[in-house]
Amino acid sequence: MSNLMERGGRIAMGASEMPLEAQALTGAGQERALVDSCRSGDPIAFARLVRLHEGMVFNLSARLLGDSEEARDVAQEVFLQVYRQLGRFEGRSSLKTWIYRIAVNQCHNRRRFWHRRRRDREEGLEAVPAEGAGARTGSSPYEEARRRERARRVQTALLQLSFEHRSVLVLREVEGLTCAEVAGALGVPEGTVKSRLSRAREAMRLRLLGLVEEGGAS
Amino acid sequence: MTCARVRGRLSEWLDGELEPAAARVVASHLQECTECARRAEELRDISALLAGLPRLEAGEPVAARVLDRLEMEAESRRPALAALFRGFAAARPLMLPSLVPAGLVLASILAGVLALDPGPLPEVHLAPGAWGAVPASGTERNPLFPSAEVEIPRETSALDLSPEVLAGRGEGSVFVETVVARDGTVAGVTVLQGSAEREGALVEALRQQRYEPVRYRGRRVAVSVYRLISRMNVEEAGPVITGSPSS
Repeated sequence: MSNLMERGGRIAMGASEMPLEAQALTGAGQERALVDSCRSGDPIAFARLVRLHEGMVFNLSARLLGDSEEARDVAQEVFLQVYRQLGRFEGRSSLKTWIYRIAVNQCHNRRRFWHRRRRDREEGLEAVPAEGAGARTGSSPYEEARRRERARRVQTALLQLSFEHRSVLVLREVEGLTCAEVAGALGVPEGTVKSRLSRAREAMRLRLLGLVEEGGAS
Repeated sequence: MTCARVRGRLSEWLDGELEPAAARVVASHLQECTECARRAEELRDISALLAGLPRLEAGEPVAARVLDRLEMEAESRRPALAALFRGFAAARPLMLPSLVPAGLVLASILAGVLALDPGPLPEVHLAPGAWGAVPASGTERNPLFPSAEVEIPRETSALDLSPEVLAGRGEGSVFVETVVARDGTVAGVTVLQGSAEREGALVEALRQQRYEPVRYRGRRVAVSVYRLISRMNVEEAGPVITGSPSS
């Protein structure tokens, strides 16, 4: 890590230097090679690993915590933990699932920390830049406002669920993981994921009945 | 399958996680039951709503922040000891100045203690084994005292108070302890108050006395007797002994 500053500085300045690095890993072999490079202390490889996963980690954290600033802090903590624990990554699950697991744990700890300090602030996420926002073609300002309002109501309903239910729903529905991957990310059996999903969906349905009846999903 | 059971499995059915046979049962129930079909539709909408949430972006690259932080940690680890103390002094700037008055208070307390010290206590010499084995109770070296259960020894020979014995005596009273041995003889006489040298003849007369052996719980025991002997008693009423055991 001796020349980290110099190389890291170059990486930080030039996001455009890394378009190739941000390409998804296409196989377990590539993932293994990237992990090995990170373990050997290659800061370029680690920067690439972060770039590949930072979007999903931030989105997951923001949806679980409902606060963009906290989500940024959590994302940073997640990758610091990834860096420190990479030596212990055994490759039994995919790197993505392993990072999700660290992220869920970090969010859970962050929430407990808030609860201890009675600081359960959850700011809206409307101000957070969203991928492709404003770039949708053919959507009127009214359509855009309606979409934003719908997203706000769904996020509010999510935050009213228990952390257990929220995490299973976000991983499955928002992040699109399979039940097996969710089980890996939460460290619970697949059967538990299915029963939690069933209860979480029902809880969400009761909270969003009005929105569903309006045909909000369309 | 009842509506309740179907609704309990709708989530798995929507995920395609049900066994084919169970999935067929659920599907055929949904064709017949509009209420359950509506519930399934609502759950499908919930999934669509969640999947349709916009993906949020951090706004600034996380990688840069993480690498900066790792670099900072690597920096702070290098001069480990210096960094530790620098941090300590920086966090507690008044720590060292506050130690000066604390030291002065401690020094004055120590000086006071040394000034008031009366010096070493006299040394106590103990006979070897003094705290070791205690002689058995009721023997000559550890006699009993007269009590409700231990009688006062009865004399079998009177105390010899002849003029020779009384000749050398002083004017005052003498307080003596006589240990009556288990066989009725006198094991020892100790002058507790008065001059042992001047009362030598009286002590010798006391040693010559004989008593009936005293028994306690069926066995013979040695007993200690205390006596106050005064000249007035001796001269006016002849050989009178104030044998008041004062145990």
